[in-house]
Amino acid sequence: MNDKNKSAAADHTTRPKVVIERTYRAKVGELWELWTTKQGFESWWGPDGFRVEVHALEARLGGTLHYDMIADSPEMIAAMKQMGQATSHEVHARFSEIRPHDRLAITSVIDFLQGVKAYESTIVAEFFPSGDTVRMVVTLEPMHDDEFTKMQTEGFRSQLSKLDKRYGGEKR
Amino acid sequence: MATQLDTFQALADPTRRSIVEALRNGERQVNDIVEQAGIHQSGVSRHLRILHKAGFVSMRPDGQRRLYCLRPEPFRELNKWLAQYRNLWEARLDRLGAALKKQQSSGKPPNKEQDT
Repeated sequence: MNDKNKSAAADHTTRPKVVIERTYRAKVGELWELWTTKQGFESWWGPDGFRVEVHALEARLGGTLHYDMIADSPEMIAAMKQMGQATSHEVHARFSEIRPHDRLAITSVIDFLQGVKAYESTIVAEFFPSGDTVRMVVTLEPMHDDEFTKMQTEGFRSQLSKLDKRYGGEKR
Repeated sequence: MATQLDTFQALADPTRRSIVEALRNGERQVNDIVEQAGIHQSGVSRHLRILHKAGFVSMRPDGQRRLYCLRPEPFRELNKWLAQYRNLWEARLDRLGAALKKQQSSGKPPNKEQDT
């Protein structure tokens, strides 16, 4: 249809994006390594209460990123079980953009949310070195990356459901 | 058939987002939305019903016309949700910062499990 451009424009402005910036005293290569090597990625990725186990990480354009997201704190394991969710799930992703020490994008297939049709979600990280610091800008699409799972377990999801009841449940 | 849509699902559809976009400047009737969003009328009516049901849009009759406008409440709630989401990511980047420090002191990336 010829409304494609308009939809894309609306997409750009109304699809919620979250941008987070941090400045680190580091070399850009050090930060880059935390995103693009198995050991680096495993050292920080994932919500609190989870750890990741990387099966494949190919830091090149279109390269595979395949990992397990595993609940590893007793509270998180209990919470996941209570919700009837598996305590670990597999994530299939790829490096959809990669410009060494400059910019990368990780596109994940979100197919582990009950009742939600599989779709893709992309995280972009950009690096701006200046002197002995690097500014890192991360752009997120909050519906839904793996933080969403964490939010589900913490009840944010149920807050949203309450919302749905309030706004969506009215009979007409 | 009409299952309850969650807040995100309501906005997940690009056509619905362009309708929301068209309503950002204030109250509109269906024809204006059709023109502004460039979508066929039957599509607009269907999506307006969904947005109305999900609480994003309210409608008031004005003679023969039906006027639609955005309701602020779900957007406010969405913002609140996004703020919580942001906090979780801030925490994740705190961990990245901590991992970076360990990497700098040891010369190689740390192992998350070993060091906590």
